[in-house]
Amino acid sequence: MRARKLLGYGLVILAGLALGVGGAVLQIRQGLSSGGIANGPWRTSENIGTKDASLVTRAVVALRGLLALPDSEAVYFNASIDSAGDALDGNCDYVLSGGTIPARWWSITAYASDGFLIPNRTGYYSVGSAAFSEAEQADWKIAVGANNKKTPQLNWIPIGKAERFELTLRAYHASPEMLANRAQTVLPEIKKAGCAS
Amino acid sequence: MIGKSLKFIGIASVAAIGGYVGTLWMTPSFIMDRAWLGLSDAAGVNNMLHLPMVGAARRGIVRPSPDLAYSICPFDLSKGPLQVHAEPVPGHYWSLTVFDSATNAVLVQSDRDTEGKAVDVALVREGQRPPDGFEPFVMPSDKGIALVRVLLNDRGEFPEVAEIRAGSSCKTIKS
Repeated sequence: MRARKLLGYGLVILAGLALGVGGAVLQIRQGLSSGGIANGPWRTSENIGTKDASLVTRAVVALRGLLALPDSEAVYFNASIDSAGDALDGNCDYVLSGGTIPARWWSITAYASDGFLIPNRTGYYSVGSAAFSEAEQADWKIAVGANNKKTPQLNWIPIGKAERFELTLRAYHASPEMLANRAQTVLPEIKKAGCAS
Repeated sequence: MIGKSLKFIGIASVAAIGGYVGTLWMTPSFIMDRAWLGLSDAAGVNNMLHLPMVGAARRGIVRPSPDLAYSICPFDLSKGPLQVHAEPVPGHYWSLTVFDSATNAVLVQSDRDTEGKAVDVALVREGQRPPDGFEPFVMPSDKGIALVRVLLNDRGEFPEVAEIRAGSSCKTIKS
């Protein structure tokens, strides 16, 4: 009778642990897409890379952005959806439109959903502020897609044959205003330009 | 009967909360430990490895920036302090970041902080003393990773930048 009771408690504890661990793993794998600070399709979090970050942020960053810089050096915004709220789709072309990003330097990089760079024939994976003249910085466009046939005049981030992808905007030495207002800072719009049938 | 069910629900809830918090708490250290082992296999311990240009074929660390040249030093202070030197790369953003064994960036110095001058620091544990002339920084853990980043204005300038950043180093300080 006593052994049966102990077994019962053991099973309950195991079930509870499995539920807790499973929930945590699910949340970590989901990344910051369901939490953090939202700014249009972009999401970020505070205190990345430091012990002041929340438990969830620390775990997510360890899995999806290990060795990230703290806020004082760089702010990371991630997008897995476009500005209409649809998941970024490798079969579609996108145009990013933006203006001045209040930081010393910025760049936008495409990653596969596993967090690694996407193989493509060009060997390029990102476009940054260095691609634009000072005058262009206030109003720019970047093409994102498997090819840039429709918009050959634009700087292009190739996404190879990825089915799903994500974009990461890095802003190095962001201005104090940007650091204080991550949800309000004007960030690039991500607009679908068309999809392969 | 209801009392027994409530007791089970209570125990399961406490176990679930424990499992949830424990998993979140341990994830950074677990992932850092695996990364440290992988990097120390490639670079050795207390040695700065200057990584080739980042590309899709390189899958060591998740979400690498293709705009950066990386130099990385997995370290272990159990045998003594470590000297870390970050070589300035004029006209570029560059930084040295030191991470502890739980992924926390405990020390960051960039060209903005040093006004373009090199960073020279001795990583020590509590109770260790570096020789005179070294600026000590007390680490919360024996193991960690020192990472030097140099921002490339264009990927074409990698060879030129790589030549300069090759001056960055880390090594055990012999007493």
